[in-house]
Amino acid sequence: MLSESELQELLSFLRPETRPDVKAGATECVLGLSANRDGCLLLGSKPDLLQALLRLTSDPSIGIVKDVYYTFINLSAEETLHQVLVSALNLLPLLCINLLDPSFPFSDQICTILSNLSRDDRTCRQVLQDKVGLSKLVELFCCEKFNPKATFHYIGPLLSNLSQLQEAREEILDRDRCVLQRLLPFTQFEASTIRRGGVIATLRNCCFDHSHHAWLLSDEVDLLPFLLLPLAGPEELSEEENEGLPVDLQYLPEDKQREPDSDLRRMLLETLLLLCATSRGRSVLKSRQVYALMREYHSWESTPQARSAAEKLIQILIGDEPQTGMDNLMEIPIPEEVEQKLREADAQEQEELERELNQD
Amino acid sequence: MANDSDDDVMDAFIDKFKTEKYKNAFNEETWEEEMDRIPIFMTKAPDEIDPKKYPELVALQSMIHDEDRTPEEKAEDLKNEGTSYFKAKKYKQAAMSYTAALVMKSKNQDLNAVLFSNRAAAHFHLGNMRSALNDATAAKKLKPDHLKALVRGAQCCTELRNFGEALKWCDEGLKLYPTDRKLQELRATADKNNRVSDRDARKAKAKQKKLLGEKEALLKAVQDRGIKFLPSVRPRCSSDSDDDEDGEPSTRGLSQLSLDGLNSGEVTGAQVYLNQEDGALYWPVLFLYPEHQQSDFISTFCENHCFLDHLTVMFGEELPPWDTDHKYCPSDLQLFFEDEQKETLYQVDSQTSLLRALQHQRYFVKAGTPSFIVLVKGSPFCKQYLSDKKVHSLK
Repeated sequence: MLSESELQELLSFLRPETRPDVKAGATECVLGLSANRDGCLLLGSKPDLLQALLRLTSDPSIGIVKDVYYTFINLSAEETLHQVLVSALNLLPLLCINLLDPSFPFSDQICTILSNLSRDDRTCRQVLQDKVGLSKLVELFCCEKFNPKATFHYIGPLLSNLSQLQEAREEILDRDRCVLQRLLPFTQFEASTIRRGGVIATLRNCCFDHSHHAWLLSDEVDLLPFLLLPLAGPEELSEEENEGLPVDLQYLPEDKQREPDSDLRRMLLETLLLLCATSRGRSVLKSRQVYALMREYHSWESTPQARSAAEKLIQILIGDEPQTGMDNLMEIPIPEEVEQKLREADAQEQEELERELNQD
Repeated sequence: MANDSDDDVMDAFIDKFKTEKYKNAFNEETWEEEMDRIPIFMTKAPDEIDPKKYPELVALQSMIHDEDRTPEEKAEDLKNEGTSYFKAKKYKQAAMSYTAALVMKSKNQDLNAVLFSNRAAAHFHLGNMRSALNDATAAKKLKPDHLKALVRGAQCCTELRNFGEALKWCDEGLKLYPTDRKLQELRATADKNNRVSDRDARKAKAKQKKLLGEKEALLKAVQDRGIKFLPSVRPRCSSDSDDDEDGEPSTRGLSQLSLDGLNSGEVTGAQVYLNQEDGALYWPVLFLYPEHQQSDFISTFCENHCFLDHLTVMFGEELPPWDTDHKYCPSDLQLFFEDEQKETLYQVDSQTSLLRALQHQRYFVKAGTPSFIVLVKGSPFCKQYLSDKKVHSLK
C-alpha cells in the first residue's frame, strides 16, 4: 500500500501539464492500485486523486485515457464507491456525453462502468435519470454501425439492471413507442453472451408484471418466438405440431443450435413460466405448441437447474387448469413464511447470477 | 427502294388526315377558344370564372401564367393545383402538376421535398409503387425528417413486398418520431411479413432437401441391387441444366442418372419408388402382348413379388377382351425380356421375383419402366415370333 506522501507524489504526477511519460507511469500505477478492493477503497477516499483522473479523461494521449477509463471500471465495480463517483465526482454527465459521440474510442468501457454503477438501486436510478435516457440507450444498443469502435454489448446488462426499476420498465413497456420490440431479436445474438444475457434478463424482469402479458403475447410485440427460438433444436416435430408453432420456429434448419449458456436457458424458461401466470397466457402457450418444443428440449437438457425449470413449465402446460379463483397464479395469497422463504431464495439466486454475469 | 405504288400508298395515307378527324379534336371554328381554356395554354386570365368543377383551379391557373411570378411562387401555385386534383382523386393530373412544379427548380428545398412527397402519394394511389418509392426517397433526401415521406417510403416497400427495406424505413422514422402510430403499425406488419417469408424460404429449402434425400436414397437402392439402366439417347433439355446449377458435382451425377434412367417421362408419368416401411422398390411395369398389339400397365409392382402373382390376377377370372381365343391362362404364359443391344430375347421364369429378373446380367431398364413380353406357350404366334430371333430359353 502507498503511504500518504507517496500518494501526494502520485497526485502531483497526475496533472495535465506533467511530462507525458511520467504521467503515463502514474496512470499505470493508479490502474494497478485499482485492481484490488483495498486499492479501490484507498483511491476512493481521495477526492483530489479522483478529480485528477477525471481531468485526464481528456488527455491527448490515448494510452493515458485508456488507463483512466479502466481505472474507473474497477472503481465502479466497488459498490461502496458508487456515490463517490456519481454524486461527489459527478462522473455521469461526462460518460453520457462521450457515449453519444460516434467516434469515441472508449464507449464500450463507458457501458461497462454504467453497467457496474447500475447494480445498486440508488445509483441505478441516477443512471436512469441521466440525460441520455433509456430510449437513447436502447437506440445505441440496437444500432449496429453507430460507432465503429464500440460494440455496446454492455448496455445489455445495464438495461437488465435498469429494468429492475419500475420507472424503467414503464419506459421499456411503453405501448406508444417501439422500445421492447427492438430488443427481441437479440435473444439469439450469437456473437456476445453479455448482450444476449442482458436482453433475456430484461425480458424476464418485464414479465413480472402480469398486466402486460396480453400485450406482450400479442402481435404488437410477439414476445413468444424470441423466447422459444434459443430453446429450440433441430429436431423435427410432427406436421400437426409444426403447423401450430409460431412462424419463426417452423422448419428450423438441421444445424439449429440451442442457447449454449445454461443459465440463460434457465432464465428463458423462467420467463416462460412467468407468462403462464394468467389463464390467457397459458392458453396462448398451449396453442402455440410450446409443450412439443419443451418435450424435445427436456430430453436434450442435461443441466439440473434448467432441467427442473423445464419440468415445471411442462407440468403447467400439460396439467389441468386450476380451479376458478386460482386463475391468476400471481394473485393467489401466499402465507407470510412461505413468501419470506421465497424472497430469500430469489435474492440468493439473483446474487449468484449477477456475480457470474459480471465476471464475463 | 421506293416505287410508285409505295408513293401512292403514302399519299392515300396522308390524304386520310384531310378528311378524317381524330378524336377529341378542337372544333375548327372555335379551336382558339378551346385552347385558351386549357390551363397550360392560357395566355391571359379569363375574364369570367367558369363554374367548372374546380373553380379554385381556374383562379390558380390564371396565376400560373402570370409573367411576374417567381419560380418559387409558380411552383407553389402548381403545388396547390396538384393538391386540388389530389383531393378530387385525379391522381394522374395531380402527379403532372407536381412534376410541373418541380420543373420550376425552386430554390426552396422544403417545398421541393413536399412536392416529391406529394407526388409519391399520387403515384401510390395510382399503384405505381416504384415511382412512389423513388419520390419518397427523393423527398427524404431533401428533408430527412419529413414524416409523410418516411411513412410513404415504408408503405411502398411493404407493397413491393420488400419487408427488410420497409423495416429500415420504419426504424429510421421511429428514431425521429418514436410515438407515431402509423410507423409502429407499418413496422409490426413489415416485421411479421419478413418473418413469414423467412419461414417460407426455410420451408422450401427443407422440402427441396427432403426430395433430394429421397431421390438419393432411391438411386442408392437401385444401384445397390445392381440394376442397370439403358442410357437415354434423348439430348439434355434445358431443365436438366437448371437442376445442375444448384447441385454439387455428386448431386449432378445423380440427377443426371435419375433423369436418364428413372424418368419414364411422357410415357406413363409413373416412377419407381422406395417404400419406407418395407424397404422394397415398387416399379411401374409394362406387360406387352405382341400377338394382339396390346399391353398392360402395372403401376406398382413390388420387387419381391413374382410375375405369376400378377398374371394370376390379370388373367384370373375374366380373360381380357382381346384374348379372342381364350388362351392366355397364367400357367400357359411365357415371359421374355428383350436385350436390345444383343437383339436377344431372354426368357424369364414367371415364378421368379421381379427383383431377380431385373438383376439379370443383360437386363437394362428402359425409360424407367421395366417391360416384359408375354406369349402363350406353344401357340402358333409364339413359334413364329421366336423363330427369327435369338432366344435364351429357360432349361
